[in-house]
Amino acid sequence: MKKRFGLLLALIAALVMLVVPVGNTTHAQAADNSLEKIQKKGVLVMGTSPDYPPYEFQATVNGKSTVVGMDVQIGKKVAKDLGVKLKIKSMSFDSLLVALQTGKIDMIISGMNPTPARRKNVAFTHTYYQGGYDIVINKTDKAKYKNKDSFSGGTLGAQTGTTQYNASKSQTKNTTVKGMTSQSDLILALQSHKLDGVAMEKPSAEAYVSNNKQLAAIPSDFNMSSSATSSAIAFRKGSTSLVNKVNKTVDQIKKENLVKKDYLPAAGKYLKTNTVNTSMTHYWKAFLTGIEYTLIITVCSVFFGFIIGILLALARMAKGNFFKNLLRWIATAYVEFIRGTPMMVQVMFVYFGLGLFVNLPALTSGIIAISLNSGAYVAEYIRGGINSVNIGQTEAARSLGMSNGETMRYVVLPQALKNIWPSLGNEFITLIKDSSIVSIIGVTELIYQSNIVRSDTYRGVAPIVVIMVLYFILTFTASRILNYFERKMQHD
Amino acid sequence: MTKPVIEVEKLAKSFGENQVLKEITEQVNPGQVIVVIGPSGGGKSTFLRCLNLLETPTSGKVAFEGHDLTTMDTKGVNSLREKMGMVFQGFNLFPNMTVLENIKLAPMKVKGTDDASATKRAHELLERVGLDDHADAFPDSLSGGQAQRVAIARALAMDPEVMLFDEPTSALDPEMVGEVLNVMQELAKEGMTMVVVTHEMGFAKSVADRIWFMADGYIQENNTPDEFFAHPETERAKDFLSKILM
Repeated sequence: MKKRFGLLLALIAALVMLVVPVGNTTHAQAADNSLEKIQKKGVLVMGTSPDYPPYEFQATVNGKSTVVGMDVQIGKKVAKDLGVKLKIKSMSFDSLLVALQTGKIDMIISGMNPTPARRKNVAFTHTYYQGGYDIVINKTDKAKYKNKDSFSGGTLGAQTGTTQYNASKSQTKNTTVKGMTSQSDLILALQSHKLDGVAMEKPSAEAYVSNNKQLAAIPSDFNMSSSATSSAIAFRKGSTSLVNKVNKTVDQIKKENLVKKDYLPAAGKYLKTNTVNTSMTHYWKAFLTGIEYTLIITVCSVFFGFIIGILLALARMAKGNFFKNLLRWIATAYVEFIRGTPMMVQVMFVYFGLGLFVNLPALTSGIIAISLNSGAYVAEYIRGGINSVNIGQTEAARSLGMSNGETMRYVVLPQALKNIWPSLGNEFITLIKDSSIVSIIGVTELIYQSNIVRSDTYRGVAPIVVIMVLYFILTFTASRILNYFERKMQHD
Repeated sequence: MTKPVIEVEKLAKSFGENQVLKEITEQVNPGQVIVVIGPSGGGKSTFLRCLNLLETPTSGKVAFEGHDLTTMDTKGVNSLREKMGMVFQGFNLFPNMTVLENIKLAPMKVKGTDDASATKRAHELLERVGLDDHADAFPDSLSGGQAQRVAIARALAMDPEVMLFDEPTSALDPEMVGEVLNVMQELAKEGMTMVVVTHEMGFAKSVADRIWFMADGYIQENNTPDEFFAHPETERAKDFLSKILM
């Protein structure tokens, strides 16, 4: 199903390789103790992208949002046979390969096809499932479309980075192919007639059709090699002993036909319970968690960003000897670099790049990345604020015998902060919104939670409306509070 | 013979191509009140600001009680600045603090004076400049004359040995000039060593021990007020006096 990792991720990976030129090769060449290492650790971390029912998706189990699906069943069986515990880490499909290579996860089970291109980077087990492709259409169009060749002049959709996306592009004529990252977005686009059909794997297509009476599935008739339609488990390259051991489990699964007999029906059960209660109030806990994490990220990032900002601003104004000039140069370069690169890339770089040296949890990585980013902007505000304080203030303080530092701390900074308070408030509100970016590394903030609710309920718009309102409540409340303090400061 | 408090030797200052001070050599003795007068742009303020190194001299020497400030490290300069209070044309009170806090800040942070004694001393000084009832006011609510008197009290709080005044009455409405000059006159009477840059000729005549007439980047005449105003020696001084005494 899913084939290549995104261009952005490739770039990050390249960067990471540059930073640590020997990292991965030494892994591969080192004596293979992969099996021993996992069993010693006692935990097997499985990476997956839970937006692909019935392979893997989010469902509410005993009131808690949980990753379920046939791949999860396979992961559990693999862990059990290894005698270790299974831990599931969710992230976008595009991030999985990098996460595996940088040691964030131990294996990928996410309906991944063992394509030759992927085999260059990771080691695959035997395939555990042989699938195929369908195209989901609106039931009203059933007479119009027969297979992939019926969409001439129309528009097909598919999940980006997947095999079916590439097949849609190369194996159709006169057809526009639109890529989106999430399956539920594609279905939504189909229902609002922005797309004429959505190519996806058979089990997924069947799950959508059985859950939504307005949809129908037709065969795709894509011309595929078997490696492109089968799914296998990915491990880090060189972990032969681990792969060999897991192959025994995979072979047993295939021999006993466990996927069709047990796993798919079990997954289907979750799909059914899903559609019972799809009202947004039913998911208030999910949204509350989202708000909680959004606020944690924002408040921490504002705090650390402010400290970083002050240090950077002072460094940028250092002048005099060689050391001070160097400091100024570094700070200036830092600010320019941070402001000139997307925050999304920075977040991924901290999570995957720094992850090579220290294993940082996603939340910590997110806070670090956003603080570093915000610091660069805050530094510019503070620098502006300091420059806005009359030079006479500094002269008066210095003439009283105060040192440069004392002058800054007691006279200039308090006035500068008062001047830039509105800008700082703006930064805080911007951060509430920008914190949404860390959803890509799997932090359970508002956006991430809304995506879960969307794939959980098959409702595309309602969760978006809910978080839109929630974001507005957060930012509006924040701006009211900031205004209150601004007025209070004005009285002083 | 008493040692001079401030000695200036071949002091020169340039801003880029523009040479503002041209090798000035003078000295200030303890208890002296020096009034520096002269046409605008003649380098009076720059000269004064070189005395406590708010401007770094391009060349030459500025010594305070025998210690050359121009060769001193920052720490040494900071500690000598404590002994030279300065009053600015624009008051430069800290707008985010009350009058009392303005005065207490430097003694507490620089000298480590405790809050109680700093507060007591601040009230004494405010009493002296006639503003103790404004102790809790913010600078914005003060008139220009009041603000400048607070600025004088703030400088005095560090117990300086010399006071530098940089056109202290130039930004004031005419009716407020008197209250500030009175405070300065009191200070002079008490024996404070002062260097005053001003355009107030009446003050110069009645309070100064020496008049330094400064124009074109150096001190052209150094004389008693009586002699200077009655018999200016240079053409430059004559020209200046003829214009301001009309």
